[in-house]
Amino acid sequence: MGVPFDYSPDRPDHINAILNGLDRYNPETTSIFQEYVAEQCEGKFTDTYANLALLKLYQFNPHLTKDETITNILVKSLTVFPSPDFSLALHLLPPHILTPVSVSSALPAAGDAPLSEAVQKLNVLNNLLGQASYSAFWSTLDSDDLYADLIADVAGFEELIRIRIALTISQSVREIEKQVLESWLGLQAEAFEKFVTGVCGWEIDGSVVKVPLNKENEAKGSIVRENVKIEQFSRVIRRAYEQPA
Amino acid sequence: MSGFQNGNAPVRQMDDDSDVEEEALVADYQEQVQYEGMEELEPVSSLSMAQQADDLQSRLLAAAQPLDFSAPLEVKFASYDNYCSLFHFILNSDGPVDLEPPSYFWAWDVIDEFIYQFNSFCSYRNRVARQANNEEEIQILREAPNTWGCYSVLNVLYSLIQRSQINEQLAAMKRGEEPVAVAGDYGSKALYRMLGYFSIIGLLRVHCLLGDFSLALKTLDDIELNKKAMFARVMAAHSTTYYYVGFSYMMMRRYADAIRMFTHILVFIQRTKNFQKNAQYDSISKKSDQMYALIAICVAFHPTRLDDTIHTALREKYGDQLLKLQRGGPESLPIFEELFRAACPKFISPTPPDFDNPELNVDPLEHHLAIFMDEVKTNMWSPTVKSYLRLYTTMDLKKLAGFLEVEPEKLRGWLLVNKQRSRQIKWQDTGDSGLLDGEVIAANDLDYAMQGDIIHVSEAKVGRKLVDWYLRNLARTY
Repeated sequence: MGVPFDYSPDRPDHINAILNGLDRYNPETTSIFQEYVAEQCEGKFTDTYANLALLKLYQFNPHLTKDETITNILVKSLTVFPSPDFSLALHLLPPHILTPVSVSSALPAAGDAPLSEAVQKLNVLNNLLGQASYSAFWSTLDSDDLYADLIADVAGFEELIRIRIALTISQSVREIEKQVLESWLGLQAEAFEKFVTGVCGWEIDGSVVKVPLNKENEAKGSIVRENVKIEQFSRVIRRAYEQPA
Repeated sequence: MSGFQNGNAPVRQMDDDSDVEEEALVADYQEQVQYEGMEELEPVSSLSMAQQADDLQSRLLAAAQPLDFSAPLEVKFASYDNYCSLFHFILNSDGPVDLEPPSYFWAWDVIDEFIYQFNSFCSYRNRVARQANNEEEIQILREAPNTWGCYSVLNVLYSLIQRSQINEQLAAMKRGEEPVAVAGDYGSKALYRMLGYFSIIGLLRVHCLLGDFSLALKTLDDIELNKKAMFARVMAAHSTTYYYVGFSYMMMRRYADAIRMFTHILVFIQRTKNFQKNAQYDSISKKSDQMYALIAICVAFHPTRLDDTIHTALREKYGDQLLKLQRGGPESLPIFEELFRAACPKFISPTPPDFDNPELNVDPLEHHLAIFMDEVKTNMWSPTVKSYLRLYTTMDLKKLAGFLEVEPEKLRGWLLVNKQRSRQIKWQDTGDSGLLDGEVIAANDLDYAMQGDIIHVSEAKVGRKLVDWYLRNLARTY
């Protein structure tokens, strides 16, 4: 909470130096950023601010574009939903990327039809996560082999997504039917129990799962009062001194 | 009082400009005439010196002149070359150039016009490629991929920033030190300092046009957004800065921050509108209409109490639309789209278009709009959900789903979405926090939690805010 968007605790110094200097525009740094993306994929952390810098390099130098890295960045940014990271990455991709594939694949010259297909598929996932249609998310993920290829490079993708889903659930749920939760997490039986009790620390009670109270799911009423500071009156007070009536 | 100065000065400058334009034309003409003579008569060196300075002044002024929108391609190319040689001269001469900027607004005008021309050139090039019916222009554009190139534009802006050490100077000022100590040979000159400063705002704009909203905000790290800031003395710069900062916030889903930005500048514009005249006011009122539209969008995402004057003006301008936006649901989608189209910046794509595949050159606006609309669709049921929950303290989920005629599973999703979206990052003034900093806040007065199928609802009531009202009336009476 309260972490600036451009800060990442896991970012190495040399990446930081590039990001804060003009080298962020230097096409030669592309490979350094690409390696960094690979590191993030393996190390289960996400540095969106650095990844956006790489997408910007691609935006300026389309010939350097590596489709795989782009999709990896997008998949990584799915794992930090509901933050806007996925959308911010999409904004930096070529404008035709979201036009329906049927249009662009009809053209033999359109070399990146596979990329736009992949990006649109990932966008579907992003929208499902955004709309909190978690069971639809898991069934979509299983529905197409392309998804398996796309997420293959990102270590622990499903686990990372599950943790995020659990987080959003814990914000608004105190008790939930086991069946519903199973479909939301895409887990059954033993794996389900292990995740819910082990990772989340929730309690399974027969057919319901209890989420311990936290600040978010308490939903306590309150009255917000105005916070008055003496500084707000400084002008009035000063005038009283300056213009003695 | 400060409002008066702010509003009036640009107007005076406009008058100056028309004289200056004439003067520049005369100088230009004089130069041409003398040029022919010079080849034969070896001119006296002192004369040529004086004339060179003259010529430079006219070039400086010419750089700040708006280019006609319908100017033919050759003129656009020539204008690019002029900028290149001017900036080359300013940046790469032997040491700092000894020139006084023609006016206080000159530096802003130059950077503004430079980026405006870059922007319209890119849009034009993209349109030519998309329509693919003007072979001649396609050929010209194809052969000059680097004219008005993104790298060269950024290069100019970054070089001006670096040469003038403006970021170092601003950081020193923030610490309360004298900027002169870190200004260096270049930065201590008004010409460089001002060009450097406005280049930062130029960068904010370019990044935003390219769809890089986080970097746009990052660019302003060293600039303090307050009335004492240098940009505040130039009305156009002032409103441009807040427009782009606000827009970037909106695209990062930080609606509370976006509203804060738009409100600040719109209140300021309202206060000074009596002092602005004619052409300048036209462009500013166009910009402020756009910002009202953006406020309407942000308020729909993040219902909040607006400043009274802003609220009144918003209802006047976009009353019907605002109502539909706030009601949500599929009927609100066309309104979101309409307002976004009317109010967004003219997005560009940085690289030359693909002339061989006209279909691939989608207008960048459509791209950004599509992404934005996905977010709108994700949120469109929140107003409905909230309007019902407001009526109860506990509610059965299945019953509510029945009222809304949706499946319970869908409704659960909506409830989760609304809860997520009511948590927002908001900027906090801690003295040195950048625009990208912020704390997560609960941006909603309605809170709820689900216990199985029971929804527990609670409301955070806001006590009346009296201080503002009290102060305003106090100021009025004495």
